[in-house]
Amino acid sequence: MNKKLMMLAITLMAMASPMLAQGNAAGGDVSNGTRLGAAYLAMGIASGLCGIGQGRATASAAEAIARNPGAVAAIRVALILGLVLIESLALYTLVITFVAK
Amino acid sequence: MHELWITKIFNDNLAGLANGVLNAVHVPAANPRFPWTDWMVCELIVVACMVIFFGVLRARLSVDNPGKAQHVMEIIYDFIHASSEEIVGHEGPRYLAFFGTIFIYILCLNLIGIIPGFDSPTMYPMVPLAFAVCTFIFYNYTGIREHGAGYVKQFLGPFLLLAPLMLLIEVISHFARMLSLTVRLFANMFAGEQVYITFITLTKVVFPVIFIGLHTFVALLQAYIFMLLAMVYVGGAVSHEH
Repeated sequence: MNKKLMMLAITLMAMASPMLAQGNAAGGDVSNGTRLGAAYLAMGIASGLCGIGQGRATASAAEAIARNPGAVAAIRVALILGLVLIESLALYTLVITFVAK
Repeated sequence: MHELWITKIFNDNLAGLANGVLNAVHVPAANPRFPWTDWMVCELIVVACMVIFFGVLRARLSVDNPGKAQHVMEIIYDFIHASSEEIVGHEGPRYLAFFGTIFIYILCLNLIGIIPGFDSPTMYPMVPLAFAVCTFIFYNYTGIREHGAGYVKQFLGPFLLLAPLMLLIEVISHFARMLSLTVRLFANMFAGEQVYITFITLTKVVFPVIFIGLHTFVALLQAYIFMLLAMVYVGGAVSHEH
């Protein structure tokens, strides 16, 4: 399973290399196509990993509530705080895709 | 240059006033013919509405016969009071004015973007930066007021040997808090607006309504989270190690 994922990742990156053959647009030393492709890839990775992290946080919180229903208020605060902090990591990537020149 | 209808009214009539004020503090406007920016005008409108609302509410406060607005504000007040006691500790409600202002002001600024003729000021990166800088200054101020010069001991870590390394790491992480507060609020509001624009262009009718709903929910959540993080930072600054 791990070897298949590795092969898939390498194949995807190899297939993306024709982007480098495009001519230079007015945006500096990377062409616009490369910039967009990198933005899609970065955002995809960031959102995927953020999803995994938030899923684990929510699963832990649900299990904790099931074990100890009296502590729901405290667990809710911890859950919301954790989810928002993880979310902000994906948002940093989004901002960079808009801001980077 | 694209500007809202109300910014146009301000720029046509009050441009002299804005240029005068900006030049007096040596920060000339980016475009002197249009000194009023969208976010400045919307902020002023929100401030005016809030001052009028709370002024009228204050005049009509009554113990025996509270109206609906007083009920709602009492619920919000109790909520913030309970949260601050739980997170900051016993001294939490001393700082309730700051937390309450942060929560209600950011909430109103986020929500005004839903009304068609107005823009959320929090969609522009300068406004969340202002909130983050104010929060940074506030929690350091409360820490210094509580601990005096001993406030610096928090940054030094468990052993004196590790102090230089810990100081560097702690200072960087405290500045990163300002960055993360700014980027979180800005990116949520900005991304909400971009997604809404995309869907308005793509499918003109049913789906944008779902995104307005999402924007409202995110507005509430982000205002609550900003207040929660401000409380956590103040709690970290004033906490006494037992």
